[in-house]
Amino acid sequence: MRDETLAMLADVAAAFAKVDGQRVRRALSHDAGFDRKTWVEMAEQGWLSILVPEDRGGLGLGMGASTVVARQLGRAAYPEPFAAGTAVVACLSEAESAAAWEPRLAMFSAGVLLVSLAWQNVRGELDPGVTAAGDGDDIILTGESRLVAAPTADAFLVLARLGEGQALYWVGRDEAGLAIDVEISADGGRSARLRFDGVRVASDACLIAPARTAEVMRRAMDVALIVSSAELLGVMDQALEMTLEYLRTRVQFNVPIGSFQALQHRVVDMWIQRQLTEAALGGAVSVFDNPRASVDDRSAAASGLKARAAQAALFLCNQALQLHGGIGFAEEYGLGLYFNRAITLSAWLGNAGRHRRRFGELSSTVGVTAGGAA
Amino acid sequence: MKYGVPQEQDWNALDDEAFRAIVRAEIEANYPQEVRYPSRRLRWQELSGWYLRMAEKGWIAPAWPTEYGGMGLSPAKLLLFFEEQERFGVARFPDQGIVMVGPVLMRYGTEEQRDRYLPKILSCGHIWCQGYSEPNAGSDLASLRTEAKLDGDEFVINGQKTWTTLAQDATHIFVLARTDPAAKKQAGISFLLADMTVPGITVRPIRDIAGHDELNEVFLDNVRTSADNLVGPLHGGWTIAKSLLGFERIMLGSPKLPEFGLQVLQSVAEASGAGDDPVFQDRFQQLRLDVAHLGDLYRHFAGIVGRGEPLGSDVSILKIFATETFQRITDLIVETGGPLGALQGDVLIGDRTIDLLGPYYKSRPSTIYGGSNEIQRNIIAKQVLELPSR
Repeated sequence: MRDETLAMLADVAAAFAKVDGQRVRRALSHDAGFDRKTWVEMAEQGWLSILVPEDRGGLGLGMGASTVVARQLGRAAYPEPFAAGTAVVACLSEAESAAAWEPRLAMFSAGVLLVSLAWQNVRGELDPGVTAAGDGDDIILTGESRLVAAPTADAFLVLARLGEGQALYWVGRDEAGLAIDVEISADGGRSARLRFDGVRVASDACLIAPARTAEVMRRAMDVALIVSSAELLGVMDQALEMTLEYLRTRVQFNVPIGSFQALQHRVVDMWIQRQLTEAALGGAVSVFDNPRASVDDRSAAASGLKARAAQAALFLCNQALQLHGGIGFAEEYGLGLYFNRAITLSAWLGNAGRHRRRFGELSSTVGVTAGGAA
Repeated sequence: MKYGVPQEQDWNALDDEAFRAIVRAEIEANYPQEVRYPSRRLRWQELSGWYLRMAEKGWIAPAWPTEYGGMGLSPAKLLLFFEEQERFGVARFPDQGIVMVGPVLMRYGTEEQRDRYLPKILSCGHIWCQGYSEPNAGSDLASLRTEAKLDGDEFVINGQKTWTTLAQDATHIFVLARTDPAAKKQAGISFLLADMTVPGITVRPIRDIAGHDELNEVFLDNVRTSADNLVGPLHGGWTIAKSLLGFERIMLGSPKLPEFGLQVLQSVAEASGAGDDPVFQDRFQQLRLDVAHLGDLYRHFAGIVGRGEPLGSDVSILKIFATETFQRITDLIVETGGPLGALQGDVLIGDRTIDLLGPYYKSRPSTIYGGSNEIQRNIIAKQVLELPSR
């Protein structure tokens, strides 16, 4: 996409997702941990269709456009699960029998059907503890999956082990044998712990068959890593802006505290990490959109970016807290929305340490022992 | 061809990998083994064989436009060119003519100055050094006191410069000198070119803590240079110096040195077995990411230069992050060496011979020269982040 088009999209997204702490707090107070009405409005903007190919009824605008929107949502600390939604789209648009799944992709993209992925384990790897076993024409799911976004989802896409491989299944929230427990994340958002006690689904609930599951899930993971990193970049944008504004206006010892060199250098280091994340995001998007890049290059760029964004956001938000002094620690002030969002997004799908490891495993470094790639 | 030699082809039209293969083949076939990965700045006579070959080939000025005798490489191709040099451990020669004087003359010089100097820079007939810092003008460069007075059709220069890299090898020096003592600090400075072989110039090497003497003091005692060696307007040298500083920041911010450090670090890890240690791996991957993301940032700024747009003050980020990353990498090289990290020069480690302290010492002054990193942070705080002054 052209830069001007992306800039226009960024303006539209910024006008939609205004910085409004009260709105965020209200959204977090819903059982879902976000505002379903806002979610539908986001869908109406077409943002859930950005990554859907045009021949599947989507906008096909590419990764750059998704990250532009995500950054603005991060800037406004939106708890709505946009990054998780892009991963759902990446799976649904790769479904085995396109025609059968198209209506559900369309309903998800329109915001009327909420779907969430049960795919990661507690280390942030693509291997939840769910096992699938055939029983006649049916599939029986057993086990437990943690850290599932949007516990109020109408249905879950469940990654399960099947023999030596994995497959992805559609499971409605009301299926017998499925228990949904809610855990609360640092930002006040919700995540689900799904317990599958012999949940029976028909064989046509298989969205992605074993032959393609590894490839499709890996791509969905990379999409979600890049989009969530863009959200973290938006979190950094706002936490940095709040800090700069505070340093310019807070007067102590009869001068604005931003005139002190010791504080100036600290805020420059915050800015440096934000700029690095922005550059790394641009680099990862261009690798992702480059048809000649290998699958490993794509995943290495995505993991490298997540490692940077997670680390940078935590660093920046902690510095922001220190430079604000006591007021930053008060919930009412609003810096905490960004501080807590940074903790949540940094850990989601694997923190910086996890993604440094994946980056190392996927990008060739001669002679240093490499483990298996995830 | 007015300047230099014609290029064999339009390098930017080549596919990245095809271009990389050509550069790699040239380096591997012709670069002398004994000057790979040097642990100190090498002297001109140690490198002249290779760089005269580069001059004859038309590869001496990869970043210059082809109309001035350069290779005219795009930012992306330039990065590949650097990467291949680093991969093989190609040493830097006293290249101030290529990286500083040439670009200044293209932008601010007269046609006559370009005709006089560019061909000699391209042929390595002239080797240049930089006369900026003085004993009492370091971070506060504009307080410099070296004076130049017009006497007939010549300037007469008196003063002292310091930290001048490889002045021993230079045939020419570019000097910031005060031409209007009455004017405010920045307003009275001019940018002058001078021949180093004329009477009145004394070069005294400064031995550094690594035991090298590439840095020098340069004394100027009634040094005469023709008035047509003034670049840009009289008293207008600060603007030129500042534009060069922006240029220098992008050069000092290139991923070249950190890439070199990473390669040494990887060798040390392989030779010592540290690569199997998960603690080492985590730190190693962090540093690899720092270099990868520095590359992303560098491409952004190189793109601005490539499009002919002016660089903003935010370019200081490159110098800060490149040099501090280089230091972190060399810290880990020495730490990974363990007790061997105390040994000077080439050290036998496992089945290899690696200079552990060389890169460490090389990285130390990088956060000091070219405008210390504290000065760079001041610039960003005031000019980019618009924080109040005291």
